[in-house]
Amino acid sequence: MSSESTFNPADVKVILATDCGSTTTKAIMIEQVDGVYRQTWRGEAPTTVEEPFADVTVGVINSLTEIQEVSGRRLLDDQGRIIRPATADEGCDIYISTSSAGGGLQMMVAGVVREMTAASAKRAALGAGAIVMDTIASNDKRRPHEQIQRIRELRPDMVLISGGTDGGDTKKVTEIAELIAPAKPRPRFGKAYELPIIFAGNEKAQPEMNRVFGDGGFDLKITDNLRPSLEQENLGPARDMIHDVFLEHVMAHAPGYDKLMSITDAPIMPTPGAVGDILQTIAKGRGINAVGVDIGGATTDVFSVFDGTFNRTVSANLGMSYSISNVCAEATLPTILRWVHIDMDERELRNRVKNKMIRPTTIPQTLEALVFEQAVAREALRLAYKQHKEFATTLKGVQQQRTVGDTFSQQSGGETIVDNMKLDLLVASGGVLSHAPRMHQTAMLLIDAFEPEGVTELAKDSIFMMPHLGVLASVHEQAAMEVFERDCLVYLGTCVAAKGAGKPGKSCFSWSLDGGSRGSGELQFGDLEHVELGPDESAEIEIRPARGFDVGAGPGKVLKRTVRGGTVGLILDARGRPLALPEERQACRSAMQKVIDQIGLYPAAESTPVTQESGSSD
Amino acid sequence: MNRAGQRIALALNALLLAGLTGVAAASSPLTGAPPAPPSGVSAEDKPWDGGGTVLLRWEASSTEEIKGYEVFAHQEVSGSVAAAEAEQSAKDEAEAQTEAILEGEGVAPEDAEQQAGERAARDVAPVTDVPKWNSLGVVPPDQLEFIASGLDKSTPYRFMVRAIGSDGEASADSNVTPALVPYAQWFDGAKLPLFCILFVICGAVFLYVMLARSGMPMKIRTIAGLKAVDEAVGRATEMGRSILYINGIQDMDDLQTVAGVTVLGHVAKTAAEYDAKIEVPTSRSLVMTAAREAVQSSYYTAGRPDAYNPDLIYYVTDEQFGFVAYVSGMMTREKPAACFYMGAFFAESLILAETGNSVGAIQIAGTAQPSQLPFFVAACDYTLIGEEFFAASAYLSGQPDQLGSLKGQDVGKIIVGVFIIIGVGLATVQAATAGMPSMESLHEGATSAVDFLVNTILGS
Amino acid sequence: MAKAYTPGLKVSASTEHEAHRILPIQGEVKVAEGDLVDADTIVAETFMDGDVTPLNVANLLSAQPGEVPGLMLKQEGDSVEKDEPIARSKGIFGMFKNECKAPASGTLQAISKTTGQVMIAGPMIPVQVKAYLPGRVDSVLPGEGVVVKNTVTLIQGIFGVGGETSGRIVIATSSHDEELRAELITEEMSGAIIIGGGRMTAEAIQKAREVGASAIVSGGLDDSDLKQILGYDLGVAITGTEKLGVTVVVTEGFGEIGMARRTYELLSARAGRQASVNGATQIRAGVMRPEILIPVEDGSDFDGDAIETESGVLELGTPIRIIRDPFFGMIGTVAALPEAPQVLGSGSKSRVLDVALESGDTVTVPRANVELIET
Repeated sequence: MSSESTFNPADVKVILATDCGSTTTKAIMIEQVDGVYRQTWRGEAPTTVEEPFADVTVGVINSLTEIQEVSGRRLLDDQGRIIRPATADEGCDIYISTSSAGGGLQMMVAGVVREMTAASAKRAALGAGAIVMDTIASNDKRRPHEQIQRIRELRPDMVLISGGTDGGDTKKVTEIAELIAPAKPRPRFGKAYELPIIFAGNEKAQPEMNRVFGDGGFDLKITDNLRPSLEQENLGPARDMIHDVFLEHVMAHAPGYDKLMSITDAPIMPTPGAVGDILQTIAKGRGINAVGVDIGGATTDVFSVFDGTFNRTVSANLGMSYSISNVCAEATLPTILRWVHIDMDERELRNRVKNKMIRPTTIPQTLEALVFEQAVAREALRLAYKQHKEFATTLKGVQQQRTVGDTFSQQSGGETIVDNMKLDLLVASGGVLSHAPRMHQTAMLLIDAFEPEGVTELAKDSIFMMPHLGVLASVHEQAAMEVFERDCLVYLGTCVAAKGAGKPGKSCFSWSLDGGSRGSGELQFGDLEHVELGPDESAEIEIRPARGFDVGAGPGKVLKRTVRGGTVGLILDARGRPLALPEERQACRSAMQKVIDQIGLYPAAESTPVTQESGSSD
Repeated sequence: MNRAGQRIALALNALLLAGLTGVAAASSPLTGAPPAPPSGVSAEDKPWDGGGTVLLRWEASSTEEIKGYEVFAHQEVSGSVAAAEAEQSAKDEAEAQTEAILEGEGVAPEDAEQQAGERAARDVAPVTDVPKWNSLGVVPPDQLEFIASGLDKSTPYRFMVRAIGSDGEASADSNVTPALVPYAQWFDGAKLPLFCILFVICGAVFLYVMLARSGMPMKIRTIAGLKAVDEAVGRATEMGRSILYINGIQDMDDLQTVAGVTVLGHVAKTAAEYDAKIEVPTSRSLVMTAAREAVQSSYYTAGRPDAYNPDLIYYVTDEQFGFVAYVSGMMTREKPAACFYMGAFFAESLILAETGNSVGAIQIAGTAQPSQLPFFVAACDYTLIGEEFFAASAYLSGQPDQLGSLKGQDVGKIIVGVFIIIGVGLATVQAATAGMPSMESLHEGATSAVDFLVNTILGS
Repeated sequence: MAKAYTPGLKVSASTEHEAHRILPIQGEVKVAEGDLVDADTIVAETFMDGDVTPLNVANLLSAQPGEVPGLMLKQEGDSVEKDEPIARSKGIFGMFKNECKAPASGTLQAISKTTGQVMIAGPMIPVQVKAYLPGRVDSVLPGEGVVVKNTVTLIQGIFGVGGETSGRIVIATSSHDEELRAELITEEMSGAIIIGGGRMTAEAIQKAREVGASAIVSGGLDDSDLKQILGYDLGVAITGTEKLGVTVVVTEGFGEIGMARRTYELLSARAGRQASVNGATQIRAGVMRPEILIPVEDGSDFDGDAIETESGVLELGTPIRIIRDPFFGMIGTVAALPEAPQVLGSGSKSRVLDVALESGDTVTVPRANVELIET
């Protein structure tokens, strides 16, 4: 954070951005080309937070070296420092970074009631990009000594305490604080580190907090109550505070981060926080509901914006490398093999999964390995989305307004706000999704895992650029928006899916594109159809669902919409929702084979395979 | 007055009438010769019955043109006993009528009963003489049997039949049957449908209990109101306010109060887990005791016996509106964050629910009073409706026995529902086809089916 | 990208090693600074409260809670054994008496008249921390534990299950890639640390368990065998608390794979020596790998070259191992390092290298799928 905003945005020609992930550090270069900002080059290198290097900047420099190699532009001087400012063929003007390395920002949150203030505290922490290690609440079914034991075991970077509405409870929240203070959680970064405690609870309890945490060893920060009343959630101040503390305390203690902070031109943001920011910006700007997913090696993050409400969840043990074994254990191998159309040897698969877990950086070399990895990804995404739905709910503990008409249909509070029918845009990122050799695979992965209903646009973050752009937006919004529009999102196309169930062979819906001039047809239940529609094209679609099926206008009602094309095009899905695959292995395999044939998922012998670069700028 | 009593009363009326007609017949010399009496009258006790019924058969009178047969019975008791019985039943009937009239005029039930008794004793004339042969009724000429019911099952009877000529003249007495006691068998065949229904319903309950015990999952529909208990208690905890629990205004003899105490146990357990304060004002002293027991055991189960405070469960007053005034006042002063109304409620339902709503509490109500349900639904966040309220204990405990019996009872309800639908359908057909010549056979079929349902199934 | 993936596993002939031996809760330290300790020496000890088991006697005997004290066969403070009758109902005319048995052993702590509940407190649970690493107590953390220090031969595995143990090293196989089968394990290996070469079978682990071996170490293991011995499918790679009776350490990976020759030779040279083994593994933040520690008495019996991590530079001729199917476990040298990315069989494009295998064949694999091996 050395020289924040000391540059003139108009003069910025070259921007470098890195994202230090838990396994890889990804760097991108943005250049002004013909007056607009475009992402031009990128590089990757393993992250170097752990031993033997224990210095994150080594990985950063490696990734920048790769850009230097491929772009031919000299970025680093002989001492390995970034050359700034840019000249015609050397250096860059801005360098920014995000980080989730070393486990990212790890937090413990506490609240009075698990489903109320503790849930709000968790939302605030997750929204700020943290990993929530545990949630302590007075009703978490643990006895005080168990809670103390747990607090001692955890080594959080910071603690967020909430509890009590303003003017409400002070007793319980003080009790929670009194559990945390003597347990003295040991932070990850040595004894000299004063554990930051953020209190965002009942304002009346603030003096108590000062008393409890005043003894030393803690750095107490007080901010506005994140639940001033049960009917209202105010996460902004707590999120900002988390971010401040992250920079002030956590970053300063991570290996090599002091060095990294000194060379960036904007505060380092936790990666998921930056992704959340950019997704909210899109949803707000276009007035849509959006879901974003980032599947990583260890964790899967799901972001959603429904009716303006942002939610993020981190599924800590669902990922494609470190956690791949857990995905297999949770989903079970037969469930994963539902998505596989070829015969596979179970023993072989099990060993492969475990080897991927202990050696997380390897990539699939054969088609068979890819098919299996994508099957695992489907299950990981499905499980992560399920967890997200359970977490992204309306507020609990809110008074309901009723009429006599509600007699037999009393909806309770805390219902999920995730509604696949209302979903407009699904954005995918993370290795397995964005590095899939064919875009069709990414699209089908999303459709199978998220089961979008009605009309949903599918996009992928071409090279996981959203975190970079999230930070960039804070220093150079114009550049961020321009790159986002042109290079970040690769529109895969649109999925049209009917909600409902039927019998195979019965009609599901009929469709026509631009009044039939660009194609029309009828789909039977269980079918899937792929219609080409180029990246910059759009068309008017008319969908007539059969009785009992809903494509967004209501059961059996005709829907007319403009649909956007993409690298994949239009996917018409008549497999019904919720998606049910045949139980029997052989039937399931042939059903999967049908999908593969209809979409052209894995062309065995194609002369020019589409590669990961196809979606980016070149 | 029970069914047997009614029948005796009817029989008595018939007897009085028959007496009059008999007198009229005897004093009418204008008609021709009396018809020949029927012969071979035999009587046998009706098998598989609850006693008091005798089956009579006879051979037709030799006279062609007759109006019918009149059946007579003779109870083998002394005249004075019969007279006393007749007098008593006449008095009972008069008393019941008077009482009903008095109550209709607004006299308190106890007073009405007493006054009616006095009047009956005063007004009903003593019966001094009872005719030896009591007429049991007249049957058409083509019917050669008769079921004499409503008899006393412990005394012997004799029977005889007279033919009644076309001009109303009665024949001579037929042969008199030997004395017969219409005794009760071990099994009453008329109750067989009831037995079958009982067997099916009990069997279903038993079967489902067994299935549940063997581990078959018993799915029970989510009851939003009970699911919301955590939410309501949580709200109270976060807001640092108390939980108010009203167990209705009836005593422990009311099933709804009992169900309310069950739910109280659950709420108190949740409150104990959250360490929230729960306050239970009661309007009956016994309910207070029961509520204390329930709350105490909940606190123990939750592992917080220390947190239990019996002083928060207290008796206010038996007076309906005194109680309501107290509770409403307390709500406005203390502003509880959660209010529960579980039990029997009357006029106070809306007063309580509206007060609770105005202080911003989450409110959960449960009652089986149909008239109060709309008020609760409109003013509360969640409402347990009738049966849901009673199912609460099975729902909350999740015990296989309780869930199984709940499911078994559902089977019973389905059976009843099916019979109601069939019955309504048949009755509709019967009514619609009445008087339509083309539908006569259908009408007759429907009629006999309805008769069967009404008399045999409902009658049993 | 000239750097290859290195798993960061240490294999060192001689290194200073510190073992932090800390109690989970406050307790008593049994040794003093400077003491020489053995692997089995208890260095710190404490007691934890036993589990409390509540038992509702009133419900079980269909009695009123108030009657319960009168029905108790045991009184407060008495010790009870599991399944011992602790209360008996009065029955009907002295018949049909019901009994209520203790669900756990322990002490009868409380009998409640109001709920009919009886509390049985389990015995205090002693918590002991052993030295694990034979050596000298370097420092004492009062009330918490000690730090034990020694010069050791350190070998980190890639994956393990089971906790800390110790024993003498016994080599069971004749080469670094011979499969470790059950018949290679004999009765004499009781209490030993069995070293194998190639894949170890579930039967071998079972046999090791039966003969009472302390640990079993080998190059590879099948996941299905792991599932069989664990009894469940391992999800997150956080291990160390399993109660298998034997600690299992895998040095290379899952499937048919032999132990790295250098590791095998190092272990062979230490055969017959006492060693401490810990199977605890944690992949991800705060990486923890299973370890084999062999104290070196004087440090003179081996070449003593302290191994440092490989610099990780890929050059022509660098010995490497392929760590992903379809050539998993194969060893060779770098034959070519093409600069431009190539399209793989899976359809993705990636930077690759050519590997000259020991068999003489040359295969092309993505650079991400190889790891350097030490010479």
